[in-house]
Amino acid sequence: MKIILTILAVFFCSVLFAQQKVLTGTVTGKDLGTPLAGATVKSNEETVTTDKNGKFRITVSRNENVTFSFVGMQTVIIPYKGDQSPVSITMEYSSGSLDEVVVTGYQTQKKADLTGAVSVVNVGDIKDIPEGSATKALQGRIPGVYITTDGSTEGGTTVRIRGVGTINGAGNDPLYVIDGVPTQRGLEEINQADIESIQVLKDASSASIYGSRAASGVIIVTTKKGKKGVNHIDFNASTSLQYYNSKLSMLNTEQHGQAYFDASINDGTNPNNNEIYQYDWNGNFKNPVLNKITLPTYIDAAHTMLASNTNWFNEIGQTSILQNYNLSVSNGSDRGNSFFSVSYYDNDGIIKDTHTDKITLRLNTDYNFFNNRLKVGENFDVTFIKDKLIPATDVLFAALVQNPVVPVHTIDGGWGGPAPGMTDRQNPVRLIDDNNQNNSYFGRITGNAFADLTIIPGLHFKTTYGVDYDGLYERTLQKSYVSGFLSDPTNLVSNSQNYDGNLIWQNQFTYDLNINKSKLNFLLGQESINYINQNFSASRQGYAIEDINYAYLNAGTTNINNGGIGSAHNLLSYFAKADYAYDNKYLASVTIRRDGSSTFGSDNVYGTFPAGSVAWRLSQEDFIKKLSFVSDLKLRFGYGEVGNQTAPNYASYSLYSAIYGTDRTFGDDGGTAYDISGAGSGTLPSGYVKTQQGNSNLKWETTKEANYGIDFGLFNQKLSGSVDYFVKNTSGILVTPGYLGVIGEGGYQTYNGGSMQNKGIEALLNYAGQINKDLSFAVSANIATYRNKVTYLPPDVVTAYPGNGTTKTIVGHSINSIYGYVAQGLFTSQSELASAASQPGDGLGRIRYKDLNGDGVINSDDQTFIASGDPDYTYGLNINIRYKDFDLAAFFQGVQGIEVYNSYKTYTDFTSLWPGTNWGTRTLSAWTPQNSKSTIPALTLVDNNNEGRTSTYFLENGSYMKLRNLQIGYNMKNVLKKFKVQNARIYLQGNNLFTVKSKSYTGTDPENPSGAYPIPAITSIGLDLSF
Amino acid sequence: MVLPSCKKDLISVPQGSIDSAELNTPANIDKMVIAAYSSLGNDDIVTSNSLWPEGDLRSGDSHKGGDGLGDNSGWNDYEQFVTNRNDNTYTDQMWYQLYSGIARANDALARVNGISATAYPNKASRQGELHFLRAWWYFKLKILYNRIPYIDETMPKSSYINISNVQYTSDQLWTKIAADFRVAANILPTTQTDIGRPNKFTAMAYLAKTLLYQAYTQDDTHAVTGIDATKLSEVNILCDSVTASGQYSLDPDFGYNFLTEHNNSPESVFSIQYSINDGTAKGRIDMGHALGYTMNATYGCCGFHVPSQDMVDAFKTDVNGLPMFTGYNIGDPLQGTDFLNYNFDPRLEHTVGIPGNHPFKYEPKLNMDASWARDPAVYGVFASLKDLVAPDDASFQKIAPFMSSSKNWEDMRYADVLLINAEALIELNRESEALPLINALRTRSGNSLGMLKNAQGGYSTNYLISAYQPGVNCTWTQAYARQALRWERRLELAEEGNRFFDLVRWGIADTYINAYIAVESTKWPYLKSAHFTKGRDEYLPISLNQMNFSKGLYKQNPGY
Repeated sequence: MKIILTILAVFFCSVLFAQQKVLTGTVTGKDLGTPLAGATVKSNEETVTTDKNGKFRITVSRNENVTFSFVGMQTVIIPYKGDQSPVSITMEYSSGSLDEVVVTGYQTQKKADLTGAVSVVNVGDIKDIPEGSATKALQGRIPGVYITTDGSTEGGTTVRIRGVGTINGAGNDPLYVIDGVPTQRGLEEINQADIESIQVLKDASSASIYGSRAASGVIIVTTKKGKKGVNHIDFNASTSLQYYNSKLSMLNTEQHGQAYFDASINDGTNPNNNEIYQYDWNGNFKNPVLNKITLPTYIDAAHTMLASNTNWFNEIGQTSILQNYNLSVSNGSDRGNSFFSVSYYDNDGIIKDTHTDKITLRLNTDYNFFNNRLKVGENFDVTFIKDKLIPATDVLFAALVQNPVVPVHTIDGGWGGPAPGMTDRQNPVRLIDDNNQNNSYFGRITGNAFADLTIIPGLHFKTTYGVDYDGLYERTLQKSYVSGFLSDPTNLVSNSQNYDGNLIWQNQFTYDLNINKSKLNFLLGQESINYINQNFSASRQGYAIEDINYAYLNAGTTNINNGGIGSAHNLLSYFAKADYAYDNKYLASVTIRRDGSSTFGSDNVYGTFPAGSVAWRLSQEDFIKKLSFVSDLKLRFGYGEVGNQTAPNYASYSLYSAIYGTDRTFGDDGGTAYDISGAGSGTLPSGYVKTQQGNSNLKWETTKEANYGIDFGLFNQKLSGSVDYFVKNTSGILVTPGYLGVIGEGGYQTYNGGSMQNKGIEALLNYAGQINKDLSFAVSANIATYRNKVTYLPPDVVTAYPGNGTTKTIVGHSINSIYGYVAQGLFTSQSELASAASQPGDGLGRIRYKDLNGDGVINSDDQTFIASGDPDYTYGLNINIRYKDFDLAAFFQGVQGIEVYNSYKTYTDFTSLWPGTNWGTRTLSAWTPQNSKSTIPALTLVDNNNEGRTSTYFLENGSYMKLRNLQIGYNMKNVLKKFKVQNARIYLQGNNLFTVKSKSYTGTDPENPSGAYPIPAITSIGLDLSF
Repeated sequence: MVLPSCKKDLISVPQGSIDSAELNTPANIDKMVIAAYSSLGNDDIVTSNSLWPEGDLRSGDSHKGGDGLGDNSGWNDYEQFVTNRNDNTYTDQMWYQLYSGIARANDALARVNGISATAYPNKASRQGELHFLRAWWYFKLKILYNRIPYIDETMPKSSYINISNVQYTSDQLWTKIAADFRVAANILPTTQTDIGRPNKFTAMAYLAKTLLYQAYTQDDTHAVTGIDATKLSEVNILCDSVTASGQYSLDPDFGYNFLTEHNNSPESVFSIQYSINDGTAKGRIDMGHALGYTMNATYGCCGFHVPSQDMVDAFKTDVNGLPMFTGYNIGDPLQGTDFLNYNFDPRLEHTVGIPGNHPFKYEPKLNMDASWARDPAVYGVFASLKDLVAPDDASFQKIAPFMSSSKNWEDMRYADVLLINAEALIELNRESEALPLINALRTRSGNSLGMLKNAQGGYSTNYLISAYQPGVNCTWTQAYARQALRWERRLELAEEGNRFFDLVRWGIADTYINAYIAVESTKWPYLKSAHFTKGRDEYLPISLNQMNFSKGLYKQNPGY
């Protein structure tokens, strides 16, 4: 209380003795030269914001400093000398700025005061990138944040911060905090244009305030708010063309016939012993001469499919259109502010008929009462997404393996499909067409309502009630079909709904205190989160018409079926944080969080997560101040503990379930129904089956991380950057291992098993240059690397990971490691064959595997860890150039030194691994005694040498550098001055325009070595308008 | 201000699940018994409870089939033997599946034991049924893996980690399995209302089969060291009791055993009951035989379980209508009219789908074409018909990309009881008593031509079969009778997942299989590096997973 009185006294004193004047002026943004609306202007007397023309009026006292700040821009401080004339202030964007305001856990801090490893994204750089997801656009821009994507229309991404932290998959996803609402869902469901700032809390000392869910890092997103005195309308539109430029080169019909012939001759079998190709040849296996390949007119016995030459990738791919529209209205006054936006995103994928529609609606408002003592507001986002349910993965695989001789359609307009001797995969065009009517409808509401009360100056109480809830509705019609030898005479309509989400209640006190040179900041909070999931599904068969307008459950007549299940868990947490700064030189921060979770066993409901960090701003010391070129130098150290609670629901309980019968297509069935009376149909008696064994000792897995960092700025922050080194140890990793088979079903038990270590280094460097009044540029480069190592695994888990389970295990290796044989090229001579280790199935032109243990036999003991699966380093390089009203941006992203498992080689290099599929054109240059330089194994139809085994043959250099983004803009605001336009920028941009990859990589896109939705190249034209 | 109170808010009641203690009511116990039965039909596409992959692919009766050697390559390793290792996933999956059945039986049995007969009037029968089911699964485990951990309903799950697979000798394990069947035979009623439940005679038949296996004593390297006549006598008595019950007889047509409309026919001693339109999306159907369907448009997948040329040739008969014990595999009928060039046992076309104008699954107009085969260059074009139903059968169900049916699987047919009895009699030197049993099957085969007519009303195969007539067409010595019995078992039970285990029981697996490989690999070169290693390949290895999960407790089978 004494302290509060002191502060009050100081406050009143300054009011009493100051000489008050009024300062007016205009604030403009340097980049665009336009008035900057909503900038904060602060004097000792009051805080105001600039209006839509960038104008402000503020009470000041002589000889005090006036501060101008704006999120994402460098703060400007001017001393007020008593001059009455209006001032003109220019502010500029800079990621190197020390006064930039950074959102950290439950609070904001100035960048200069940070003690942990926090990365701030320059949202301006990604604003116009039409990827449908902010995370996708972030790929490569933040050191230590490893983002992988595919080209699907939904815009899904995988984000890994500082390596893989745990061995249970979902636990590796970061926690997202959107306007204070924590969620595990990524950013693809919110409007990219609504995002004002993105911060990534990478190390445990900064993330530990989020406790039990922060082990894989935290991404904090703040959306735009209305600002006092600002009224404006923003409109953005862009249209893009997307190109499928990464098609694999597969054989055409004639070439396939040639490859089959060659393989058959190599095997010494009659090439005419097949259902499609007939060969006119000399019959001499030693010296074969092929005169002619004859195709039948029809490839099927029923004579409906003409022998064709189909390029399946061309049949399923397209150049597609992507559109993006965004409109926002921002309005602010003394009593409150509002921000409203609506956006529409429409993506036709490069696989035909794939499609995503996304509509978002956001309303952020806040109102002031009692002289700004009470602020009440809300941030809400409603998202609606419609996705066409084309099974893109199946379509892509089918296009890869379907034979070229198969026609898309039969002569009577039906579906072509596999003919005798071919693989049993579908006609991919049919898969597209027959699913064209099926959509999923997804709605999500995210947001919160809050009240913030200033109890006394510096002391705030804030309560927030948040919701993050979503619902999914799907109704699909599976049509009957005949497609080659594949057919299904029945149709099926499935209907499902899924609802899940969190209700979040947060309460917190914050208190700011300045005593002499000491600055203190306290946070005390509590949070409760309730999660619930409920779903049901139903299906029927026997539909008279196969039309989606008819295909409701009621119209189905047979095989009536339904199901449903739910789950729930909750969290209750308390947290506290104290920041201390002395003389802007010495910084310290302490955090503690106590989390209770229903996921865990009765013995371990609560977990405590402490963290502490310190920093020393050397640049504030006199001996550094003498070095005038040093504008900033800070050393940081932080240590913290964070948790991961990703365990199966109710993992602490032993449970039985009434599983009647499940889908039995693949895998065994946990069903309990049995036709004991022999009736053959009808409702069956059923029972219960054990589903899991409980573990009352279950607790969080814990990550302990130490972070060492240095921030520096030179030449008045022209050159700035930071380097961080971290050591992250995760222990008690939640594992649900396989178990002793004799236990039978429901033997799964989750417990705290393994340990893992990640070590890494990240560096960021920014340079901002000004050549003359009209020409400026900025370069930002980042590089990051990490090393992952499994340090301990319980023996019974070991076999679930690569290795032989005993002498060679994943322990000591990266969790991403690949285990297999070492391929040493091909056998090229009889003498080589004779001298090599005994290898079942060997022969000339066959892959020669290395006898690693030297026992003279190639068997399973000759496997080893053949690749770590981790890159040497990842990097990004962003260049911005501005000349008058033109701007140019280029962003390169790359991954270096990674060996990827190119699973496409199974199809592109072999005629034997899946003999019924189409093969790659690479098979035409396979090894023969005449073509003895080839590294592609001799063609055969019989894989006696087991060449599909995991081996270095499939490992390829997956390093790449991509030009992710190239953008040229022109601002027409000077041309359009008379229309009162604040900003009118048109731009052209391209994404993924080119890729530099290793010559030895035989696939098309090393970023996508195993069949995911191809990543398109995109060209766009767009417009940003502000009134 | 009010903060939410602590612990109360953190208890979340498991949704949609039930606690073990709540299952001890009479109604729920009865449901737990059903759950144990249900495991019989819970096999999947690669783990057939009929054991056709393990029993046929390894015996020379069948090729793997499918799309090349790499398609379900674990079975290719079974077929090649030399590449079969302890990390074969099918070996592990099958182990788990069979023990899942045992776990369900033990769970239910402990509950049944714990309730009074007053509260649960069916107590005795249900106990018998559960002992039967448990033994049924242990029997399969025993013939696959030999040395297995034996667990009953009295042991807590926490003790399983201490139960080794070598705690009991091979012979002791047989005794344990026999004991369960014996308990079942003692307390089960002579008839059951529900056809799917075993009765006293079902248990006797299985006890007889168990004792027959146990009678051939094996040493640690799987060599057969002798035959226990006492056990054979008991086999004989048990089989006679089954016959004397009058509940079982041979179906008039051999083919009835493989048709849905004859499910639970008099020949069925114990069938796995499958169903369709039963409240599940695609039926509780026979997924274990899904992969045997062929690649034509009415089916569409997957072309596995292709009868070998040797198997087809074995159906040849000589001029007397008797099997060709030697020279049968010289001259290979492949398709169409080739089958008019030799004489055949009629069971051929009940068992093997043949390209050409042959009725496929008894449908004269459904003729198999060479194009139905998946990979004819590697495996040939035959199909295994007992697995299948015709595409227009009411029990047929597509389950894309697979298909199967609700046709029951006859795990033990009365024909097998006759053959078990005959085998025991022959080994007891009472071969003349075995003669009528074997001849009953041959006579029935000869009477099973009714469904084999082609579209023109004739036959596309020359059929000639006769009974063994000592002094007329043969000399019925013990050695001859043994040969006749073994041949008869092969033909009668062809492609039903028995053959390999018969060969191991008789102690002839290595010589027989290597002789098969030597001949068959000249016709189908994919077998050229296959080889059966005596003392190892009689049993599957204990899978690497189980070795590891047991933390070194389990001992590996010899040779792996």
